Amino acid sequence: MKDGPNLTRTPPAKGGFRLGRRASRAIWLATLLVPPALLFLTFVVYPMISALVYSLYEWRGISRLGFYGLENFRTLLFDQPWQAWTINAFWHNVVVFVTLMVVQNAVALVLALILGSNPRGSRFYQVVFFLPVTLALVLVGFQWKLFLNPMFGVVNKLLDALSQGIERLVGLQVDLSQPWLGQESTALVALILVNAWRWLGFPTIVFLAGIRSIPHEYFEAARLDGANEWQVARHVTWPLLAPAVTIIVILTFIGSFNWFDLPYVMAGLDGPPGKSTDVLGLYFYRTAFGEVSGGLQNFGQGSALAVLMFLFILVVSVVWTRALRSREVELQ
Amino acid sequence: MSLRRLSTTTLIQLLLIFNTVMVLYPIWVMSLSSFKSTREIFRNPFGLPESFNLDNFIKIWQQTNFPLYFRNSVVVTSGSIVLILILGIMAAYALGRYQFRGNELLYLFFLSGLMLPLRLALIPLFIELKAFGLINSHLGLIFIYAAQGLPSAVFIMTGFLRTLPSDLENAARIDGASELQILLRVMLPLTRPALVIVSIYNLVPVWNDFFFPLVFIQSENLKTLPLGLTVFMGQYSTDWAVLFAGLTAAAIPVIVLYVILSRQFIAGLTAGALK
Amino acid sequence: MMAKSTTKRLLLITLVLSLVGFGLAQTKLTFWSWRTEDVDEYNEIIAGYEAEHPGVDIEFQAYETSTYQTVLSAALSAGEAGDIVHVRAYGNFETIADFLLPLDDQVPALADFPRLALDGERRRSDGRVYAVPFASQTLVVYYNTDIFSELGLAPPETWDEFLSTAQTIKDNGYIPLANGTATTWMNEVFMGVFGPNFYGAEFFDDIMAGEADFTDARFTGALEKLLELRPYMTPDFEGIDYATAQNLFANGLAAMFAGGSWEIANFRDLNPDLNFDLMPGPAAEAGQPQLVSWFLDGGYAVNAASPNQEEALEFVRFLATQEFGQQLTDMLQNISPIPGVVSTDPLLAKVAELNQTSTPYIMLVGFRYETPSGSVMMQERLPGMFAGEITPEQVGSEVTEGIATYFAPFQN
Repeated sequence: MKDGPNLTRTPPAKGGFRLGRRASRAIWLATLLVPPALLFLTFVVYPMISALVYSLYEWRGISRLGFYGLENFRTLLFDQPWQAWTINAFWHNVVVFVTLMVVQNAVALVLALILGSNPRGSRFYQVVFFLPVTLALVLVGFQWKLFLNPMFGVVNKLLDALSQGIERLVGLQVDLSQPWLGQESTALVALILVNAWRWLGFPTIVFLAGIRSIPHEYFEAARLDGANEWQVARHVTWPLLAPAVTIIVILTFIGSFNWFDLPYVMAGLDGPPGKSTDVLGLYFYRTAFGEVSGGLQNFGQGSALAVLMFLFILVVSVVWTRALRSREVELQ
Repeated sequence: MSLRRLSTTTLIQLLLIFNTVMVLYPIWVMSLSSFKSTREIFRNPFGLPESFNLDNFIKIWQQTNFPLYFRNSVVVTSGSIVLILILGIMAAYALGRYQFRGNELLYLFFLSGLMLPLRLALIPLFIELKAFGLINSHLGLIFIYAAQGLPSAVFIMTGFLRTLPSDLENAARIDGASELQILLRVMLPLTRPALVIVSIYNLVPVWNDFFFPLVFIQSENLKTLPLGLTVFMGQYSTDWAVLFAGLTAAAIPVIVLYVILSRQFIAGLTAGALK
Repeated sequence: MMAKSTTKRLLLITLVLSLVGFGLAQTKLTFWSWRTEDVDEYNEIIAGYEAEHPGVDIEFQAYETSTYQTVLSAALSAGEAGDIVHVRAYGNFETIADFLLPLDDQVPALADFPRLALDGERRRSDGRVYAVPFASQTLVVYYNTDIFSELGLAPPETWDEFLSTAQTIKDNGYIPLANGTATTWMNEVFMGVFGPNFYGAEFFDDIMAGEADFTDARFTGALEKLLELRPYMTPDFEGIDYATAQNLFANGLAAMFAGGSWEIANFRDLNPDLNFDLMPGPAAEAGQPQLVSWFLDGGYAVNAASPNQEEALEFVRFLATQEFGQQLTDMLQNISPIPGVVSTDPLLAKVAELNQTSTPYIMLVGFRYETPSGSVMMQERLPGMFAGEITPEQVGSEVTEGIATYFAPFQN
C-alpha cells in the first residue's frame, strides 16, 4: 500500500511520456491515500489487531495466561450461561435494527420527501428536525429517563389523560400508563424510540441532500409526461436516492449492532430488567471491563465477543453494500 | 382540485408542526430543568421553574475551570474534525473517482473501522500512546478521534463522490487542469453537502466524548469539557439539578454553533442541486 | 512498646526523607480513586500528611465512578496507573491483584485488623493481603423521623410490625418504601437488607461449607417474604430506579428506604433538612436478633509497577493508622475497619453497633469471584420474581445451578 496502488485501466505504457504519466498518477493516488491509511493503521487497525489477539489467550481478570486457542469463542457460543446471554443480546440487536428501519428511517424518508417539495417554512423545519442530533447523548438519555419515569414522567401523565379521554368518550376503561423502562415487555422498545427521537434528523437530512442533488429537469420531465406526485417519487426520486439509501441502511445496521451509549445511559450496563435491554455492545463492555456491582472482567472473552461482532457486521455489511450498490446501478 | 390541494398542504403542515413539537418540547423541558432545584424537578417536572435562578450554573462556573475546559474541547474537537475532513476527502476522492486495482479492498479496509468498538483497543492504545509520548496530550486525542472518524467520512464521502457526473472533471482535464486543481476547484465545492454531514456526524460525538479523555488525560489544565464536568458531576450524582445544568452547559456550545451555522448547513445541503 | 518503636521508626524515616528532600526534588506520587465526591476531604488529609513528610508530593486523582474499573485495568496493564490505587474488594479486587504489591509484610498495622475485613482484600490463591481495607458497608432501613412521629410510629422490630407500620404509612398517603426494581444492583441490596433475618446467621457458613445450597428453604423462604413488601413499594416499582428512590426518600415523599450505609452522606447532601434515622431489617419473630448484611467496600493498594514503591508504602502505612481511620470516619462519613476508631456521628455509631450482629453480604462476599457470579444471577432474576414471572424456588435452583459450574461443594 505504501508503494502506491497499482493502476488499471490506464493503457499499457509505450513511451517515456506514458510511463511518466502513469507513474505520476500512481504518485498522486499514493499522496491521497497514504496519509489517511497511515493514521487509520496506527490508531485503529494496529491497536485493534493487538486487542483481537487477546481473544486467543486465557485470562484471569486482566492478567494474560497461556494460549487458549478458540476456547473463549467456544465458551461464548456453546457454554451456559454465556450462550444464552449471547443469543439474547444478539436478538435484541436484530430487533433494534428492524425497528429503527421502520420508525426512524421510513419516517425520515417521508419527512425528506415532504421537505424536498419545499413546503412553506421548510428551512425552519430542517433546522429544527436536525436539532436533536446535535444534543449530547447523555443529556438526551437523562431527560427521556425522566420523561419515562412512572412517578414524574410526562409520558405517563399524557397517557393518563388519554386513558381518561377514552373512558369518557367510549366508556372503555384503559390504563395506558406503564413503567416503560421497568418492564421486560416495554423497556427495549422505549429505548429504541428514544434513539429514533435523537437520530431521526440524520437520515432525514441525508435523504434530503440526496433529493436536492437530483437535477430539476428530471422532475420537470416526469411531470411534463403527466406523472403524479406519487409516480414522481416512486420512479424518479426513489431510484436516484439509492446512494443515500445505501448509506443510511448500512450506517443503521452498523449503528444497531454497535449500539451502546443510549442503553448504557438509560438502562445500565447489565441491560435491565432481567437482561431485556441487553445488546452486544453492553455485553461486550461488561465482559471486557466488568461491572462494579456484580460481574467480573475477562479480557479474553470480551475480545472474543468483539471479534464475533466484527466478523458478523463485516460480512453482512460487505454483502449488503454490494447488493445495494448493484441495485443503485440498476435503478439508475 | 384546489380544495384537495389545500387539504394536502394543511395535512403536510400539520405533520411538520407535530414533529416540530415532538422535537422542541423535550428540548424546552431540558433547558427549563437546568434552572430548577432537584426538589422542583421532582415536584414540578414540566412546569416553569419557580424562578430562573442561575444557582446551578454559578456552581459549575465557580467549582470548575469551565473556560479552560471549553477551550481544550474546542482545540481537540476542531483539530479532529479538520483532520477527518482533510484525510477523509483525500481517501474518498481517490476511492470514489479513480479506478485501480485494490480500490474495493482499500475501501473495505477503511470501512472495517466502522464495525469495531474502539473501546476494546483501549489497552493496546494505551501502550501505543505511551510509546509515542502522547498520553496526557491533546494531539493523542486528536489522532484517536480522527482515526476513529475516518471510516464514516470515507464511507459517506465516497458515496457522494461516486454519484457526481464525470463531465465537469473531464472538461477540466481537457482544459489542462492538474489533478490537484481538479480536486480543489471542481470536486471540493460539489462535495459540500457531504462535508457538512460528515462534520456534524463526527462533531457531536467528539465534542461530547468523555471516555478517551478520561483514560488518556490526567492534567487538570488539559481536561476537556465533558471530562471536567464528569468529575464535577460525580460529586452531585444524585443532584439532578446540577447534573442537568452541567449537561446543558456542555451541550449549549454545539447547539449555538449549529443554530448560527444552520444557514450554511442548509445551503451546504442544497449545494448539490446547483450542478 | 510496639507502638513506641513504630513511632521511632516513623520519625527516623521522616528525618531521613526530609534530609534527602533538601537535596533532591520531591517525590511525586499519584493516588487514584473512584471517590469523586471525596476530593476535597482527601486533599485535606493529604496536605496534613505532606506537612509531616516534606519529601513527598501526593496528587489525588478521582475518576468517574462507573468507569474507574475500566481506566484502572487499562492503565495497570500498560504499567501507567497511580502509585497508590483505590481498589474494590473480593472478586473485583482479585481481577487486578497480579498488578499490586502484597502488603501483609509491609504494613504491620494490618495484623490488628479484623479478619473479615482483611479477607475482602486477600487473594485466595496465595492467602496474602494486597490492600489496606478502607471502609465497610452495612445494609439497613432508613426512615424519615418526621413522618414516623407525625403518624405516631415507632421503628418496627419484627416483620409483622414492619408490615403494619408500612400499612399505616400507606393509609396516610405516603409511600412506605421508596425502593423500586429498575436499577439492577439495588435488587441485591434489597435482598441483603431483608433476607438475613429469614435465612439466619448460620446460612452463610453452611453455604460455603457446601452443607446447604440456594434451594434451601431458608433462602427461598426469605425470597418469598420479599414479595410481601410489594404493596408497600413505590407504585409502578418496576420502573423506579435508584436515583428516583433516593430522591423520593430525601424529599420526604417516601417514609422508608432500604439501602446501604453509604446513603447517609447522600441523603444529607440531597436534602440537608431531612430528619432521618436508620434501623436494621426487621426480625422474623419477636425476640430474635436483627441481623444486617455487612461487606468490605474496598482498600488502598500499591501499584507493583510504581517507581516509588517505598514512598507509596509509607503513605499506605499511614492509611492504616488509627489517626487516618478517625479522619476518614469524621470527614468522609465512612465506617473504618481500623481498630480503635470511634464514630462520633450518631448514625455512623449506630451502624458500627449494628455490625456486631452482622452476616456477610452473601453473594458479594461468597460468589462474586467467577462467572456467572451469584450477584449477577440474583440481580437478573429478582425483577422477574417481583413481577411474578418466576417463583423464589426457581430463582434458588437456577442460581444454585449457575454457581455449581465453578463451586465444587455444589457439584454433587
